[in-house]
Amino acid sequence: MIKLFERRTRIAMDRAKKKKGPFIYKSYSKKPKHRWVKKRKAAERRFRRAGFIAIAISSLFLASLVWNIVSSGRSAFTEAQISLQIEFQADLVEQGAYRKIVQNSLIALFPEVEDRKEKRALFGLVSRNAPHMLKKLIEENPALVSTKKDIWIPAASTVSVFYKQRLKEQSKRGGKITASHAAWITQLARSDRMQLKFNMAFFKNGDSREAEQAGVLASSIGSFMTILICIAMAFPLGVATAIYLEEFARKSWFTDFIEININNLAAVPSIIFGLLGLSIYLNLFGLPRSSSLVGGMVLALLILPVIVIATRNALQAVPPSIRYAAAALGATPTQVVFHHTLIYALPGIMTGVILSIARAFGETAPLLMIGMVAFVADVPKTFVDPATTLPVQVYLWASNPELGFVEKTAAAIMVLLIFMVLINLLAIYIRRRFEIKW
Amino acid sequence: MVKNMSAQKKISKTESQSDIRMKTQDLSAFYNNDQALFDVNLDIHTNKVTALIGPSGCGKSTFIRCLNRMNDYVENCRVTGKVRLDGFNIYKDKVDVILLRQKIGMVFQKPNPFPKSIYENVAYGPKIHHLVENKDELDALVEKTLKRVGLWDEVADRLSAPGTSLSGGQQQRLCIARAIATKPEVVLMDEPCSALDPIATARIEELIAELREKFTIVIITHSMQQAERVSDHTAFFHLGHVVESGDTEKIFNNPEHQRTKDYIGGKFG
Ligand SMILES: Nc1ncnc2c1ncn2[C@@H]1O[C@H](COP(=O)(O)OP(=O)(O)O)[C@@H](O)[C@H]1O
Ligand SMILES: [Mg+2]
Repeated sequence: MIKLFERRTRIAMDRAKKKKGPFIYKSYSKKPKHRWVKKRKAAERRFRRAGFIAIAISSLFLASLVWNIVSSGRSAFTEAQISLQIEFQADLVEQGAYRKIVQNSLIALFPEVEDRKEKRALFGLVSRNAPHMLKKLIEENPALVSTKKDIWIPAASTVSVFYKQRLKEQSKRGGKITASHAAWITQLARSDRMQLKFNMAFFKNGDSREAEQAGVLASSIGSFMTILICIAMAFPLGVATAIYLEEFARKSWFTDFIEININNLAAVPSIIFGLLGLSIYLNLFGLPRSSSLVGGMVLALLILPVIVIATRNALQAVPPSIRYAAAALGATPTQVVFHHTLIYALPGIMTGVILSIARAFGETAPLLMIGMVAFVADVPKTFVDPATTLPVQVYLWASNPELGFVEKTAAAIMVLLIFMVLINLLAIYIRRRFEIKW
Repeated sequence: MVKNMSAQKKISKTESQSDIRMKTQDLSAFYNNDQALFDVNLDIHTNKVTALIGPSGCGKSTFIRCLNRMNDYVENCRVTGKVRLDGFNIYKDKVDVILLRQKIGMVFQKPNPFPKSIYENVAYGPKIHHLVENKDELDALVEKTLKRVGLWDEVADRLSAPGTSLSGGQQQRLCIARAIATKPEVVLMDEPCSALDPIATARIEELIAELREKFTIVIITHSMQQAERVSDHTAFFHLGHVVESGDTEKIFNNPEHQRTKDYIGGKFG
């Protein structure tokens, strides 16, 4: 009780003190606020609200972008497959007439189809790649000859798209498809001979004319090979340039000139670098077209100025007192750089390099200029093989109106975005883990 | 190189000069066209502490940087005149600055340990100058040096922790250890305590008193009391000139010049 009383008096005394106290206390009291206090608070509120609105709008855009891509690309990760009872007749295998084998099993499934035109439509149910698959199967396992076996064969992409959409929406709406196809699909689905399966082909194949066979493996590998060349060229060159300019070169009109040029280069539209690569690497040096070697070299030109700038910033962030400390111990200028400055700047350099690599990873335009838009079905084995990259693959598929490619495009964008996120996470990790606070 | 030639020179010098480790002769320094030092003639005595005092901007740091040629790093700084280490002019062309800086260590105003381990901080100098043959010798040298600056007991169990994780006073002692690990003859200190609290300052002052037996020390300080406590000789700088120099006791108790008297009395600063 007494304590409570004491507290009350103390509060009252504090209040009394505040009233007589310096001016700033007045804004805490219950007295009417000064006009400028109100104005100041309103300005704060306005600014905070504006910031919030900006963030909300950009999040909305981002969310709708991701939703759009995911909702249209998700279906590409599954494909419809048809279970066919395949009879590997010895004579047909001998002749290599795998197409006939596939056709026979389809006819066996739908014996009522007589008409030649109808038959051709029936054969169109399965992927045009089916005979090829069977051939591979026999090559892997010759014991299959003269046996019968149930095998899941990928459906043609139109069939696949139609089936997936029907499953999803339970409606008759689907892609362009004939009435007889629709009837067969219903029949197959009812007898459980048509099912949705995980689409391995998307991750195991390169590009293909058939949407159900097209995959991102070749373009992903192509992307990585291109980036590898790009790093191998741009990293040492860019870092060495930055070290020289920052640590060794005496300031003169010449270094100023170089600096201005580098800063300008960073702002040059990327397609210009493609044209440069076309005229120098391809026409002058005669390097192979559409190879990951040339692609990487073009992207290296593109990110070189960015790497130089990032490295210089990282070097500048190392306080001069550290350089003086090393020099005063008797370290030579080279030792100062390689034992100290560069080491301490490395996390910053790595972050900059990784972010510029993310940029190179997503570049499309300059690669179109050097012919990396070629149709590449096979995974490139060497750096001079024809190759394509993920963003170029997206570009190629996006210009194909077939429904099967529309979902492939979105799915490839998803793969690209996942790689991007991984690269950026790596940059964040390195910054968090190794950053030196001065 | 410095060592050999200076040894020869030393023999030819007279007895009275052997206790003078460094000597500047008509030393002037310019930044662009502004002269910061005017014909400074100053002797720095062997195994003594020489304090440099004077108001800010009077050229103390410029002077101390002339002594180990750190001014080479300051763009647009030009130095004329001579600085002799054991009688040998360190501004001659053929002087190897790297060896020179091994002989003349430096401690800076703000503690600036490398963001490497405590061990590496001390071991770095001996390593680049090849002062040790193997890891064991290096370990021994690091331990000895850290003990000498009184840091061993505090860091013995965390030698691999980064030097930057220590407290300010510890960092400065680490920097002193780093400087004396290369076995220099002279240690230059540019306001080594100005960023430290009084207790850490007292610790450094004790350390300076101990180091005096082995090293020749030049210390810049803004604190009259500190100069009086730690130094044997004092030089008073003003506007780029050495106004007065001599025994600390004499400078503080019986200065010849009015300006010295005013500065020590706190009339300006
Ligand atoms: N890097 C520099 N460039 C130009 N002028 C400098 C530089 N360093 C010091 N000065 C000038 O030289 C004079 C002496 O400075 P300094 O030696 O740092 O004085 P102190 O250490 O005694 O405070 C000052 O007038 C200062 O402005
Ligand atoms: Mg100074």
